[in-house]
Amino acid sequence: MPLNQSLKGKEYPEVAFTVERDQVLQFADAVSEDAAPFRDPEGAKAAGYPEQVAPPTFVTKVQILSSAQVVTDQELGLNYMMVVHGEQEFEWGRPVVVGDELRATPRIADIYAKGRHEYLVIEAELKDASGETVGISRSTLISRGTAER
Amino acid sequence: MARLGFDQVNVGDEIPALSKVVKREEVKAYADASGDQNPLHQDDNFARSVGFPGIIAHGMFTMAHLVKAVTDWAGDPGALKRMKVQFRAVVFMDETIVARGRVESVDPETRRARLSVWVEVDRAGERQLPIKNSEAEVELK
Repeated sequence: MPLNQSLKGKEYPEVAFTVERDQVLQFADAVSEDAAPFRDPEGAKAAGYPEQVAPPTFVTKVQILSSAQVVTDQELGLNYMMVVHGEQEFEWGRPVVVGDELRATPRIADIYAKGRHEYLVIEAELKDASGETVGISRSTLISRGTAER
Repeated sequence: MARLGFDQVNVGDEIPALSKVVKREEVKAYADASGDQNPLHQDDNFARSVGFPGIIAHGMFTMAHLVKAVTDWAGDPGALKRMKVQFRAVVFMDETIVARGRVESVDPETRRARLSVWVEVDRAGERQLPIKNSEAEVELK
């Protein structure tokens, strides 16, 4: 079953996310980031940051939360068992730090077929409490073998 | 850690290769830390049911390792401004992933360097590229 192309451009409800210290430590441990700015506030301040810094791909957590709404959208017709992660792009405005209150509004940036597969591009802009853009995530998911032949 | 200066970077420079053996417990820790609990990364039986010999690492786990290679080289996590990767091969448990990168261009106006970046795995004597044709942009001091 091909994906519902008419959902191109659809926006989903905002996701809010507060960055907690234990989450940052857990993520830094999981990706073996042992540099001082990731470990404690003192190490971060010595490097010129206001608070303990999250590893750059920590924003994946927000991306997963926000894209969950898209992949489970019944109208889209995506079978998640057939999905692989094809591409990922991040733009970083500034590093995420402990205490950040992030908000992300996901949207379907594109849906297209190439050969037997379909490609779903989910974009989410992350903003902090002041409205400043902290980062942008673009994920391309490949729906294997679902293109119309 | 101090951020690399613009004058310290030249086109053609390679960043130090960063190797890591992918362990099952690390992939589980990544699932918990990231929130991606897809059974493809935890349950061998499930992985076999969709055509793999066993569980595979999350693409984002491999990307995080590549990011570390770039930010360790740049000397500052805040130096990394953009990264775009293509996932082109899977990574199995106990394989060694090697993150690499090369400076392709530098822009004195923005003080940014553009790198090509990739991740290699040696599988039975053949080089696989879990991440290939990918790029990163780093802001230098």
